[in-house]
Amino acid sequence: MRPGYLWLASFLVFPIVGAPLLKAWAFRVFGFPTRAVLSGGVGMVLVSWTMTLFALLGIRWGPLIVLVAAAVAAALRLLPRDRVPRLPKVVPSPPGRGDGGEGAARGTTLIAYSLTALSLLAAFAATVSARSTSTDLLLFWGPKAQQFAAARTVDVGFLRAPYLEYLHVYYPPLVTDVFAFAAMVAGRFPWGAATLTFPLFLAATSVALAGILKTEAGAAPAAATGALATSAMALVGIHVSVAGNAEPFLLFFEILGLAVLLTPIARSTTGKLLAGLLFAGAAASKVEALPFVGTTIALFLAVDREARRSAIRTVLLLAGPAMVSLGTWFAFGAAKKLFFGYQGYGRTLAIRWESLPAIAADVGRSLWKVGFALPWLVPIAVLLLTPARGRRVWLPLGIAIVLAGFLLFTYATTEANVRLLISWSAARVLSPLTALLAFASFCAREHR
Amino acid sequence: MRRAPFLPLVGSAILAAFSVAALPFSRGLFRAPRTPYDASEADFTAPAWILLARAEPLIPRNASVVVRTEPPDATIDTYLHRFGVALLPGRRIVPAALWGIARSPDLLRDAEFEVVVGRTPTPAPGRLVLATPEGTVWRRER
Repeated sequence: MRPGYLWLASFLVFPIVGAPLLKAWAFRVFGFPTRAVLSGGVGMVLVSWTMTLFALLGIRWGPLIVLVAAAVAAALRLLPRDRVPRLPKVVPSPPGRGDGGEGAARGTTLIAYSLTALSLLAAFAATVSARSTSTDLLLFWGPKAQQFAAARTVDVGFLRAPYLEYLHVYYPPLVTDVFAFAAMVAGRFPWGAATLTFPLFLAATSVALAGILKTEAGAAPAAATGALATSAMALVGIHVSVAGNAEPFLLFFEILGLAVLLTPIARSTTGKLLAGLLFAGAAASKVEALPFVGTTIALFLAVDREARRSAIRTVLLLAGPAMVSLGTWFAFGAAKKLFFGYQGYGRTLAIRWESLPAIAADVGRSLWKVGFALPWLVPIAVLLLTPARGRRVWLPLGIAIVLAGFLLFTYATTEANVRLLISWSAARVLSPLTALLAFASFCAREHR
Repeated sequence: MRRAPFLPLVGSAILAAFSVAALPFSRGLFRAPRTPYDASEADFTAPAWILLARAEPLIPRNASVVVRTEPPDATIDTYLHRFGVALLPGRRIVPAALWGIARSPDLLRDAEFEVVVGRTPTPAPGRLVLATPEGTVWRRER
């Protein structure tokens, strides 16, 4: 088999690793495709964490990684004790209340799936035609992954080598771990196959998103929200060239983790643990996941009365996996004297207030270049035209506001060439907002 | 449900149409690209990619290699160093420029191989190993 196909086929290991946890009774509310995707997410988090742990302990990477990660997944299944009643697999759409009955709902679902498929096809075509390949793949994700695969560990000598400072040694490990794992299976790092992670992860996100959301609102609204979010993420991804970089991973973990919190399964311990594991995946994918995860947990506690009643337990379940994952990575960095935490671009709290209007204008220009900012403007329009109901809408909306504010704050404290930094990063870093705004309109609807 | 999920579908249709419109139809959507960057904003990397990919089997592992452009350009040479690290794994890549600043030619002379993107350098830096439309690969005579 060609290395590219083998590299991609090795991703099938991740759902198998995560399967022991997703076999838990509470997750039977999801259909098989959703459980397979979520198992894959959990599997990736555990395989990556095991690889980092092995690197910290000086154990060379090999097949044992898979066994240890699967054992951790099985052990996690034993931990939670659920007290929630059994949830229906799909919330049926109430008949005769504007949906036009089951036929209309089925039609809506079909149209939504068709639009999702069209967006996924566009993302795939953009990737295979070399339209959307990220330079970050060539500059650091790929070189690190192929070197780590060859060394069968996080290669400290490579990261310390002179003139390689641009590799960002402190960047969290999940993407390089997953790429390196697949490269070990394939025997080499296939650059073209790595770009296919964009349509692959986008497809996985959209499949699981519709499957998760339908446990809250029924198939038609879930599919429609999934279509909106997928189309927006596809358009951003095509324009800002995310094929082969960490963005598809980040969005996969962030969006699915938040989707879990918007549904009834979030009331269960297993549901919160699943969301926590997905947030760990986000935190181990990119630095900017930290404000996302922190804000999500804070706002979840603010809008969910039940979660507030057992706040410490909720925080432990949602943040614990990320703390363990990043804690292992930082322990590795400190033990090898490679890095001690994350590096910033400027001095925290040294905000250049006078430059904020110019920064906002540059960010606006950057978003405009991505299909006239439609991936953000369209979900905002949908939200504004949907009558808002309930506090839950503030969960995705609040995260979107905080993330946007955090980005402006980061740019306002940056000492480097801010204009250049904005042109590189703004649209990419603000891409989760597209799905968050779609979620907000989903939460704003009256479901029951 | 008070309203049919009509609005998200309309929004999704608009966004999907823009995604399709963003595809590089004029370059031949169904023609296999030569490199993963052919139709991207970083298409300037394509010649270096092709040359380095062809040079890779000709340069032994652990050899020292300098990757540069002709005529020299410190910004491009900074990137070529990084491309060399990516596409010539297992070799010691000697930078011709760092962070947009050219390094002294004396520092490059120890490299066993020289990959030159662009014009053929004069005088020849060694024995010609490979010549392609994208550039040349040289082995220094010792």
